[in-house]
Amino acid sequence: MKKLAVVVTTPPYSNLTITAIEYVEAALSQGIDVIGVFFYQDGAIQANENVSIASDEYQAIEHWTKLHHEYQLPLHICITAAEKRGITCEEVLDDNDAKSENLNDIFTVSGLGELVELSSSATRLVQF
Amino acid sequence: MTTLHLVRQSAFNSNDLAQCLMIATTADTLVLIDDACYNVNHPLITQTLIEQPELAVKVIQSHAQARAMTTPNAITAITIQDLVSLTFTHEKVITWQ
Amino acid sequence: MAAFTEQETSEVAKTAEILNTTKTLALINSKAPFANTHGKDSLDVALIFASFEQVVSLFFQGDGVYQLIDQQDGSLISVKDYLKTFSAFEFYDIEDIYVCQQSLVERKLSNSFHIENVQVLTAKDFALQLSQHKHVLRF
Repeated sequence: MKKLAVVVTTPPYSNLTITAIEYVEAALSQGIDVIGVFFYQDGAIQANENVSIASDEYQAIEHWTKLHHEYQLPLHICITAAEKRGITCEEVLDDNDAKSENLNDIFTVSGLGELVELSSSATRLVQF
Repeated sequence: MTTLHLVRQSAFNSNDLAQCLMIATTADTLVLIDDACYNVNHPLITQTLIEQPELAVKVIQSHAQARAMTTPNAITAITIQDLVSLTFTHEKVITWQ
Repeated sequence: MAAFTEQETSEVAKTAEILNTTKTLALINSKAPFANTHGKDSLDVALIFASFEQVVSLFFQGDGVYQLIDQQDGSLISVKDYLKTFSAFEFYDIEDIYVCQQSLVERKLSNSFHIENVQVLTAKDFALQLSQHKHVLRF
């Protein structure tokens, strides 16, 4: 019964995020049930649709997208962490006086409550 | 009660490794990841390898090689795939970053 | 014909024991308050877990011990003083608050904290308490 939950706290342009992605990819390729990835602190920046990384550099978002579609890997964004970093979803547009929503829809808008759920179900919780 | 400790920063710049070693127990495993690869030559690691030989110290091969860090014999070089396996041969994982 | 082998049964029982008897989350606080948001981010996690009635314990090590010392006033530097929320730990049933003795000594800090119920532990006991938890996050 190997259930793995991962917390990501680093931004998409950081080399530290590559380590997290490679870890998740390795776990999935080994057939481990990765029940979800929770993006907290600067990790929430990953959900910004407008993030543009130079084309000759590692494309973190492309990797998450591929994992999401291939394995139905749930990608949870902590909405409070996201909002203070300028990521807005449809639901909070008016509250935040934001011009437009920019949340990449491979990510699910969540709160810390989701982290509680993931921790409850997971046999291992790994933080990056 | 074995714990897998992931250290990600250089101990020449950060207290993380010292704090980790303060509470790591024998039969735990310490993996040097990202900039923690620079720790292969840090006095704390050298000391640990001598004084606590039962505490396994490992390093991610590609991370060390990228940084031109040569792994001493007492430290095992592993892959990210190995890291996943280690996750499940220990009871929990603590990341020091 | 048995549904499970003896080994499988024993593994399941061991996992069940871990899931049922260990405390859910240990939060290690390693950063000083104010200059960065790690302390507040950690507190937010602690309160959510507690409000979901999960057992969560707080550990303070390294510069994290600065979050506990008395006489602080974040308002002087225009910081919303999240440290005041520490007084709500009892209300949230966050009972176990541990601080690393060595970290206090290194920083020449006394055992004068802005909250009650703080247990000052040696490294060995700090490690022992950590081992009682299912998951560990560090901020």
